[in-house]
Amino acid sequence: METTLDLRRWREKPAGVAYRRWVIVSTGLRQLLRMRFFQILIFLAWTAGVLMAAAGFVFTQSLASGGWLESFAASLGPRPQAVVSAFCSMVLLYPDICIHGLFSGVFWWHSFVGLGLSLIGLSVVIPRLIARDRASNALTIYLSRPLTSFDYLLGKLGLIVGVLLVLWTGPLIFGWLLSMAFAPNSDFFVYSLPALFRAGLFNLIAMVVLASVALGISSLGKTTRSVMMIWIGIWVIGGTIASIPTTPSVVRAASFSHDLNVIRQDIFKLDEILVKAADVLPLTDRSITNNMRRIGQHESSHDSITSAYIGLAAMVIISLFVFSRKLRPE
Amino acid sequence: MRNLIIEAKGLGKTFGTQRALADVNIAVPPGTIGLLGPNGAGKTTFIKCLLNLETPTTGTATVLGCEIRAQNRASRERVGYSPEQDCHIPGMAGCEYVTYCGQLSGMSFQRARQRAHEILDLVSMGQERYRSVDTYSTGMKQRVKLAQALVHDPELVILDEPTNGLDASGRESILQLIGSLWKQLGVSVMMSSHLLHDIERICDRVIIIADGRVIEHDSMEALKNRHRRIVELAPSSEAERFVTMLKAAGLPVEHLSNGRLRVETPSESAEPILSLMRLHNLPPAEIVANPNALHELFLKSLAASKTPQNGNNP
Repeated sequence: METTLDLRRWREKPAGVAYRRWVIVSTGLRQLLRMRFFQILIFLAWTAGVLMAAAGFVFTQSLASGGWLESFAASLGPRPQAVVSAFCSMVLLYPDICIHGLFSGVFWWHSFVGLGLSLIGLSVVIPRLIARDRASNALTIYLSRPLTSFDYLLGKLGLIVGVLLVLWTGPLIFGWLLSMAFAPNSDFFVYSLPALFRAGLFNLIAMVVLASVALGISSLGKTTRSVMMIWIGIWVIGGTIASIPTTPSVVRAASFSHDLNVIRQDIFKLDEILVKAADVLPLTDRSITNNMRRIGQHESSHDSITSAYIGLAAMVIISLFVFSRKLRPE
Repeated sequence: MRNLIIEAKGLGKTFGTQRALADVNIAVPPGTIGLLGPNGAGKTTFIKCLLNLETPTTGTATVLGCEIRAQNRASRERVGYSPEQDCHIPGMAGCEYVTYCGQLSGMSFQRARQRAHEILDLVSMGQERYRSVDTYSTGMKQRVKLAQALVHDPELVILDEPTNGLDASGRESILQLIGSLWKQLGVSVMMSSHLLHDIERICDRVIIIADGRVIEHDSMEALKNRHRRIVELAPSSEAERFVTMLKAAGLPVEHLSNGRLRVETPSESAEPILSLMRLHNLPPAEIVANPNALHELFLKSLAASKTPQNGNNP
């Protein structure tokens, strides 16, 4: 008996390669979003964004005459009201230091949260990138379609970028936009923008480094366990060794988490902001001024920024080399 | 030439010092083509070279008129491939996986989803299509692999051992389906298998590969005709009279362990034997012409390929 094939033929023109790359990204993200663990990470990331917006909201209210902060301080008594009034005046007089400084601090704090959550998120993503496709021979299915290994690479890269956007960049932009929405004047926008730019720059550098390291590690092993072990080894053990003060600088530069810390300090320049604030702001309490100067000096990096950049660049090159060598169907 | 589905010129592939394919020259017209060869003969390497999954060391090839290196993506746009080994994406349900494969070939989500369900119906996948592929039996994995190869409506489907792991009924339905692809939809099929019976049943053309070389390539009919005329006789009674009569007629006869007689005849048909049976008033017998023709031809070709002079590519 012959089988009857009652099929309508598909004769449409296939969508372009950009669409096919996007399919890899969106399907990968959709699979991740189904995981409870990843949902918790996203919740934490966006809670951090809301907290950032809340901090910005409280701060922007300092300039609003009759705003929430002023009313609250007045209800506490004349002394808190005077402190708040003095603070408001300071913001009005020195917006470049106060607004920029405060937003730099908030973004600096958020860079720890965003990077931390991204690293945890990548622990889940990395075994699912290439290692899983190699282990299950799915790589053959990708490459037997009208896709090249470069398209596959871009798809997987897009998946990592998507994860970092959801866990880090998204909450950052969201928090800033929300705090700007309640700002009483354009000073907040103008003076917070350079801080946002620095936060974005650090975010971009971390994204490039993490994406290439993630791709390299994911293509290194053939089982999810081995890939996870390599990732934890490079991230946690490498970071721990680099944090020991007696570790040679060459070894320190081999840890991407250490290098990113050095670059973070260089980009945000929180030390300079604190020292400048201590010098310029008319603070009557000498201990506050001294503390700010001390914290600022403590925050300044003792490691060479050049070696950090060289370390990260080497890591990116090695990762891409490993990736290109390993990306062959089994 | 557009009416050739595959054309290879001097195609070769080496892995270090190991030669997997050697100077393959072949022009394959549309149809259902069987790719035969012993383990390690180079069948999978040949397929992988055609799909650009392996970079050929020498030579060129065109698939559906597209040069595999110069038109890398385009050469696979209308080709479906079902590899020998499992190749699912863990965590995906069957219909989701087939839809995803359709999208990777450039179908919109809606069209791919609709088409995935049609194809999964076709390969007899029921409600299990909503289960994760990880939980599938070997037979189900084979079906879903075939479905992903067909979802984007290719003009050529390359199937590597598509009946591996299937039970008798599953194998039957899959073979019927594969056989119908060309006859009813005009989809060419290249099927690699070590099961000669499967190839003999559904293919109209055969390529035999051994030691990285194409040693036979012809239509099934022509290959069978090239084979010695063998007839198997299963007499209902008086087997010895049959033997005496056939020997007297000058035909070589051999007793088989199953009680049958194996006779070499000068003709392609069984008519001379029937005439002899009528003449000698012999009892009825079951007559099978050219049994295991492909099997014998296959063994013969393999033996011939081992001789150093025989390295031609038909």
